[in-house]
Amino acid sequence: MRSADILRLRLRSLFQRSRVEAELAAELRFHLDQQIEENIASGMSPDEARQAALRAFGGVAQIQERCREMRGNRWIEQLLQDLGYAVRTFRRSPTFTLVAVLSLALGIGANTAIFSLIHAFLLRELPVHDPGRLVAVGDPTRVGSLSTGNVRSDQMSYPMYEAIRDQNQVFSGIFASGRAHRLMVGLGSPADEGESARGRLVSGNYFSVLGARARLGRTFTAEDDRVGEAPVVVISHDYWKRRFGQEPGIIGRTITISRNPFTVIGVMPGGFFGDIVGTATDVWVPLSMQPQVIPGRNYLERWDVSWLLLMGRLKPGVSIEQARAEINVLFPRIVKAETGSGITEAILPGPDRMQVEVTPGGTGFSYLRRELSQPLFILMAMVALVLAVACANVANLLLERSMTRQKEIAVRLALGAGRERLIRQLLTESLLLSVLGGLLGLLVAFWAGRALLRLFGGTSAVAAIDLWPDLAILAFTASVAVLTGILFGVAPALRATRVELAPTLKENARSVVGAGSGGRWSLGKLLVVAQFTLSLLLVMGAGLFVRTLRNLERLDLGYPRESLLLMNVDPVAAGYEGERLESFPRNLTEHLRTVPGVEAVTFSDNGIFSGTESGTSVRIEGFQSPPEGDPSVNYDVVGAGYFATVGISILRGRDIGVHDGPGAPGVAVVNESMVAQYFAGGNPIGKRLVTIGPPDVEYEIVGVARNARDHDLRGPIPPRFYVSFLQSRDLGTDFNVEIRTAQPAAMVETIRTVMKAYDPRLSVRELDPLTTLIDETIVNERIIARLAVVFGLLALLLAAIGLYGVISYTIARRTNEIGIRMALGARRPAVLWMVLRETLLLALAGIALGVPAVLGSTHAVSSRLFGLSAKDPATLALAIGILILVALCAGLIPGSRATRVDPVQALRYE
Amino acid sequence: MGKPNDLVQGTLDLLILKTISLEPTHGWAIAKRIQQVSEDVLRVQQGSLYPALHRLEQQGWIKAHWGETETGRAAKVYSLTRAGRSQLEKELANWDRLSQAINLIARMA
Repeated sequence: MRSADILRLRLRSLFQRSRVEAELAAELRFHLDQQIEENIASGMSPDEARQAALRAFGGVAQIQERCREMRGNRWIEQLLQDLGYAVRTFRRSPTFTLVAVLSLALGIGANTAIFSLIHAFLLRELPVHDPGRLVAVGDPTRVGSLSTGNVRSDQMSYPMYEAIRDQNQVFSGIFASGRAHRLMVGLGSPADEGESARGRLVSGNYFSVLGARARLGRTFTAEDDRVGEAPVVVISHDYWKRRFGQEPGIIGRTITISRNPFTVIGVMPGGFFGDIVGTATDVWVPLSMQPQVIPGRNYLERWDVSWLLLMGRLKPGVSIEQARAEINVLFPRIVKAETGSGITEAILPGPDRMQVEVTPGGTGFSYLRRELSQPLFILMAMVALVLAVACANVANLLLERSMTRQKEIAVRLALGAGRERLIRQLLTESLLLSVLGGLLGLLVAFWAGRALLRLFGGTSAVAAIDLWPDLAILAFTASVAVLTGILFGVAPALRATRVELAPTLKENARSVVGAGSGGRWSLGKLLVVAQFTLSLLLVMGAGLFVRTLRNLERLDLGYPRESLLLMNVDPVAAGYEGERLESFPRNLTEHLRTVPGVEAVTFSDNGIFSGTESGTSVRIEGFQSPPEGDPSVNYDVVGAGYFATVGISILRGRDIGVHDGPGAPGVAVVNESMVAQYFAGGNPIGKRLVTIGPPDVEYEIVGVARNARDHDLRGPIPPRFYVSFLQSRDLGTDFNVEIRTAQPAAMVETIRTVMKAYDPRLSVRELDPLTTLIDETIVNERIIARLAVVFGLLALLLAAIGLYGVISYTIARRTNEIGIRMALGARRPAVLWMVLRETLLLALAGIALGVPAVLGSTHAVSSRLFGLSAKDPATLALAIGILILVALCAGLIPGSRATRVDPVQALRYE
Repeated sequence: MGKPNDLVQGTLDLLILKTISLEPTHGWAIAKRIQQVSEDVLRVQQGSLYPALHRLEQQGWIKAHWGETETGRAAKVYSLTRAGRSQLEKELANWDRLSQAINLIARMA
């Protein structure tokens, strides 16, 4: 059959090329021989016959080439030929190959690493069934938060979830998922307090809405989520491996969580991590079991405890816009229906809090996603710039190499190779380099990606996010590799093949090299200018980020940050209640005061940089509430002497005192922002402040405190007021202890031991110096600053190498001229200056192009800066100065080499 | 060395296919046969013959095997494939139509 024949021929010419070539040669030779015989037969002598035959035959090589062209696989043959040739040439210059491949590997690998993080956090969908039909209801970044006091629309309470679940028409199923944080999981015996594990409380339809199946056992059904049923859990594959050693009898095994027995009914497959991106989950617990696993608190019955994120699967044919519309009609309707019964007036959401965010849920919920998206994009831009600079260097290397190969290229052109064919071959060499660099880069990317993930998200993120290259990442790496190969290969290839044949083939090839490099502004020089432009961007960026970090680190918080140690304890979980619970804070602080090294102790509900805050609606004497309703103001509930302990100055009036106890009149201290906003800067002392309940509680303002930063380093300090812990009705939550001490870090272990001795059942949840907590809030800035410096230095180094190469080359060509100058009386410094002037010219050209680029790209980074504008002239001047310095250093070596030229030798050197 | 123009290439293909259809043979003999039968009018150059043979082979109209001549020398012998036979019929029909048309124009009164 025809197509079979054709295929066979193609395969044969591909895999048995030498055989096929030999046959062709034999066939033509046969023809020649026949012609010679014929000539001899017609009377010529053998020699004449041969010559006549050859003449008649024409060029054998040409005929062979045309026959070869007729074979369909020419391009594959040529590609294989080119590859083989490229490999041979690279083997002959191993250092060049190594340097080029390594720089490409670093550049491509860094780009891939950042991209894989972007992919994992921002782009990748959950590994569940049809994630495109999933919809998130609520703010998908509020993964681990819980607020009390009002009905909210960014997170839902359990009763609100039930109402939405039962009344909506757009979802075939909607689940709720809420934080359980660290649960104490024991392996069976009641005495075993257990290890902490990461838990998540989910509704019974969680797994079925997601469409995920268990690997062993089964997942939850709606029945499992009913109160009173036998409590069950599902665990993750990683937890099964880690804690249970992958024991086969895991299904049906009993474990204890917070001392309650649970049965393990399922193990999820290895790739499943739940609905949250960036934090791993070990155990999924039914929502109805919340009061058992978080003892002392019931979140299920109150409309004002907002802690759940909802995700629904759209019914077939329903669009997300329809779902959004319906939910935003349903939510206010539910609120209205429940007002008066489950929802009291006090906890009504403000009018600006009635909008429910409904977004595509296929990428899951993620706290880190919002944190990281801008830093990651900034890093992506930086790393792309570094790759460009590296490419320019490789291009320059290739240019230099092609200069030395000019003779070879000229010969090949003279033999009849088409220019296009040669360019194709040179491009194949470049692509081979970049593909090798890309392959190595995948390895670099894997390691770098994990390191970055650990920097940004901690070990929990590393466990949760799988950075193994999947199709998207491989495709990215491949396209970057191919693009860079073409980018740095095209120009040198074009330049290299533009050779004058006759002059090059002559003996004296050296003088031609000068003519071939294009005069004053050769390609090599242009590349170096580009490198300096890009480096200016990176160095400027590094400068801005480093200064931002320093500004943040030195920010005045309103109190001394170095002498505070913060601790978080949960007495309710340890079984305290009633009278013991009420007196617990005072007893603990009195006990801690006796510890040597402790200067003062106080406590508060919300701590400092501890991640929680309270807010409530207030009515203020002398302030007219706006028509929308009473304003909501942040507040904290603090112990006696709070301001003195923390170090916040009292500007007017007094601190909260010991005598502000349960029987005494209610007192409050306000901060400066509150005075400015609600008292028009006047004197608030003596005025009344009422928190709206029920019940409404009245406080008299007795003091004004200096504004203090207790949550955020950025942004204005909002109004805040402080009331006495002993007068607040909101006891029974975990609270924070602030300890003033000269050496907070050194005291950590001491305090831990003291707490163990005081009551071993008390779990100390957090114990850190304040500086550590603050550092955690600026972790991203620190990472960006560090990486920006690394990238900036890397780019500078590459640019310096490029500049050094180009200048050395230029000087080497002008040895003759230098010799003449020196012979005519030029002194050393003048020669040095000549070289440095060339160097500076290139650097300044790059800087000149870079300055408008810097000024034009400010909007991209300005939101991340602090305390300085993106056009900051001091930083720009510093960056320019650094670049000039580097350029001078790069030019110094060739420059000093030029001054040591012996004029006599130079003149003889043709 | 551009490609031969279409008319010439098409005609050469026809001549080669026809020659081979009568008797499978090698390139030298094909050229000789064409020369003889056309009474020396058509002389095929090696530069066009062998590329044409290889092209026809790539297209699957002819196939080759290595055989022996009467004198015992090894030679690459081409023969027509079945697809080639129908291609030959098509080319002949085309040629008839074409030459008739040209004739009509050339002999216009």
